[in-house]
Amino acid sequence: MKHYNKVTPEGTKDYIFDECSRKSHVTGNLKKIFQERGYRRVMTPAIEFYDVFGASADYLPQETMYKLMDHKGRLMVLCPDGTIPIARLTATRLLHMEMPLRLYYSHNVYRMANGLRGKSSEIYQCGAELIGSGSIRSDLEIMEMAASSLERISDGAGYRLELCHIGYFKALMESLGADEETQEEIRRNIEQKNFASLNDLLEQFPNNPAAAALKYLPRLFGGEEVFEQAYALFDDKNARESLDYLRNIYNSLQQLGLGDKVIIDLGLVNQAEYYTGIIFRGYFDAVGEPVLSGGRYDNLLNDFGTDLPAIGFAVNVDLASSIAEKHPPMTADVLVMAADDTYLVKTIQYRKQLIAKGQIVENCVLENREDAIGYAMRCGIAQVHIIGKTTEIIDVEQVNV
Amino acid sequence: MKPIRIALTKGRLEEKSIEMFEALGYDCSEVRNKGRRLVLPIKNANIEIILAKAADVITYVENGVCDLGVVGKDTIMETGGTFYEVVDLGFGRCKFALALPEGVDFYAGYHTRCIASKYVNVTRNYFEKKNMDVDIVKIEGSVELAPILGLSDAIVDIVETGTTLKENGLVVTEDVCQVSARLIVNIASMKLRKAEIEELIVKIERYVQEQEAQKI
Repeated sequence: MKHYNKVTPEGTKDYIFDECSRKSHVTGNLKKIFQERGYRRVMTPAIEFYDVFGASADYLPQETMYKLMDHKGRLMVLCPDGTIPIARLTATRLLHMEMPLRLYYSHNVYRMANGLRGKSSEIYQCGAELIGSGSIRSDLEIMEMAASSLERISDGAGYRLELCHIGYFKALMESLGADEETQEEIRRNIEQKNFASLNDLLEQFPNNPAAAALKYLPRLFGGEEVFEQAYALFDDKNARESLDYLRNIYNSLQQLGLGDKVIIDLGLVNQAEYYTGIIFRGYFDAVGEPVLSGGRYDNLLNDFGTDLPAIGFAVNVDLASSIAEKHPPMTADVLVMAADDTYLVKTIQYRKQLIAKGQIVENCVLENREDAIGYAMRCGIAQVHIIGKTTEIIDVEQVNV
Repeated sequence: MKPIRIALTKGRLEEKSIEMFEALGYDCSEVRNKGRRLVLPIKNANIEIILAKAADVITYVENGVCDLGVVGKDTIMETGGTFYEVVDLGFGRCKFALALPEGVDFYAGYHTRCIASKYVNVTRNYFEKKNMDVDIVKIEGSVELAPILGLSDAIVDIVETGTTLKENGLVVTEDVCQVSARLIVNIASMKLRKAEIEELIVKIERYVQEQEAQKI
């Protein structure tokens, strides 16, 4: 059976030349930003036990995970998320370390995408986590790093950083007092900005200020003006605290000169995920999906038996590199060729000298001088150096064909 | 500035969608005289209209190559996807319903029911909610044939007037849900082009309200 020996699985692809350079360019920039701020890299395995993600079924449905079995029949998955393995690692092997911990990772995650929708199942993620601090200092540190990441990898294209504080939504929900199922339905309708069915759903709570505010929540996005609207909509201690906090961060980002690059969306209520406080996402012009997403997840490490607050974000490198500047195709500067087999070693030594001078030098494995020049012409290599008793330098452009 | 691209569903919803945009003051003459062209400019605004099949409208909006789309809730329920569903446009109203041959009790006996439908996901979700195991058969064309020929016990399908069902001896026994046309928006577009899109949404909402008011 060799039906599938010449194609890659759906949702995966081969990355070729320039596509690879663009991905390395983006990851290189991100790594630099992370390292400059004292973040250290960790690598977690591509294969993990299913149980690591089992508690997260709400936001990582099991049907999206690639499953395997080990030699003892235990269920394994191809790592579907960057943050959860970091939580596992921190809660076990890094507990003795000085907190807070600053970690970053750069690897593929695997989520089975619905077929034929143009979505990848293998996604290269580069992300950073700040673990062990729940203060505004750490939130602002991560937000600044996210903004700098977007700025750097957007290569001059437009970007937006969108902020939310889940506390406002939670305060509204608490005051509404709906049952769990209705709560989930309300959340979903807000997330999808489905005004119509949200209104229908909230009709059952007449004269309830929280219901009135929830109806308006999907529209609460934009700039500074959102805060005034949100304060006016619902006055409650928890809601106010969340808004004050968010505004504080917003103002700090304004002082950092981010201006209208920062937007607020109080309706950013992702399916539970693990987020507990600040949530944020980054968008690029001309990319239809968020390129960056992150937030505070103070309960996630609890799943692994440790109580540590944490915040972080991840960049979808594949999406980000889709708009990264095209790199010119790389070609060698010089093609070196031994005049005959007695000069092979001399040719290698000569090649090393050129490389030491910073040139890209390709070794010619063809044996005939005309073949070598023809090859250099077709590949766009400017010079052919033929190493014999003497060194002959041929400028390919000047050769008459 | 790049034009705002709006994908409209061809066929059943097309005329009503164009009527709506015309009522909002957009010059849709190019759309009406489209010939074989697929990308159609609105002359008096920075908008381009694309006409596509329902499921493709969702695909284009989800991937961000179109900023907005008009598509039936039936297709949204069947196809799913990640986008904002911002306005119930009120036209293209019909319902998903369970229909079976007249006089048959769907729930009698123990056998696993077989349901024919073009909308397999809608059907699956409906019976999953009822905790019922059913066999689902996908039928592309006239689904009414399946129970008549004895392939299935019942069908789940879009019902507008019910005439086709009646003529083939089928009756609706349960409504699955109501559907109508929806305005959907790409998530990134909503954030990146907020002012333009919001303005359009507000206009459309006002139009929908006026239409509802006229009906009453």
